Amino acid sequence: MAEALFKGKPAHTSGDLPKVGSKAPDFKLTAGDLSDVSLANFKGKKKLLSIAHSLDTGTCADATKRFNDFAKGRPDVVVLVVTADLPFAQARFCTAEGIKNVVTLSMMRDRHFAKDYGVLLTDSPIAGLCARSTLVLDENDKVLYTQLGPELTVEPDYDKAFAALK
Amino acid sequence: MADITHRGNPVHTSGNLPAVGSRAPDFRLTDADLKDVSLADFKGKKKLLNIFPSIDTPTCAMSTRKFNEYASQHPEAIIIMVSADLPFAQKRFCTAENTNNVKTLSMMRDRNFAKDYGMLLLDGLYQGITARAIVVIDENDKVAYTELVPEIRQEPDYNKALAALK
Repeated sequence: MAEALFKGKPAHTSGDLPKVGSKAPDFKLTAGDLSDVSLANFKGKKKLLSIAHSLDTGTCADATKRFNDFAKGRPDVVVLVVTADLPFAQARFCTAEGIKNVVTLSMMRDRHFAKDYGVLLTDSPIAGLCARSTLVLDENDKVLYTQLGPELTVEPDYDKAFAALK
Repeated sequence: MADITHRGNPVHTSGNLPAVGSRAPDFRLTDADLKDVSLADFKGKKKLLNIFPSIDTPTCAMSTRKFNEYASQHPEAIIIMVSADLPFAQKRFCTAENTNNVKTLSMMRDRNFAKDYGMLLLDGLYQGITARAIVVIDENDKVAYTELVPEIRQEPDYNKALAALK
């Protein structure tokens, strides 16, 4: 269990983020065309996982735009944006905002991803959704960098995440 | 478990709708302000639950508009849209479409409602979210009317549902 803040108040997660140096847990998440996707679908690429509570909220939207700009110049990196939004909401957001360089993935089928990555919020007004986290994985799915929160309504540390991808 | 179709392909629900005449299962769902709501919050009143896969898909959107039209002329009617969309998506839809005479409730925290009402889809493209159904519950929380829509893309029978609510 880890603690972050939601609008200044403590919010707790179901577990801890995977440790730097460990192998990232596999997952099953759902893409925009409703097909299921696992970590193996992105084999051989570096991954930046941007985990958030909803693309329909301001900070998550801003972070997604920022990562989308970053991904433009980095064909060796895939940016995976993971939320509990249904794929329909994710697709609407990306179309409306012109986001084309990130892959949005939904937890529509279950919350296993959130549990396996230790980011499922167990309290706070957004209990049941993911705590904002950033993970960088290398080509072999080894965890290179993680950040949880600390304030779920504030953008992540972009510079550190990008540095981990160099 | 019930057999229905989605785009003509057979799909299965986790159970059966509550039987007419039985007591409606209690639930915990989340409103647009991220507050949890239960059946007891509508005590002493008739209520219509319009359960569907996602407000961001055409048939669900259509049914929300139609029920909203009725509710705008019958301010005493309690008509509740229930889906796995996050409250942010439900709110965005209702604001954009001006459907503020119906309530929206989200399964953002878990899928217990879907399981307790026998509506969780176990397979198909929509696995993990719900099939389409109407449940009308009377003043004493007894189930007065149900319709499980046999093909998910079809609209429910509005006339029968609204007749049961009167």
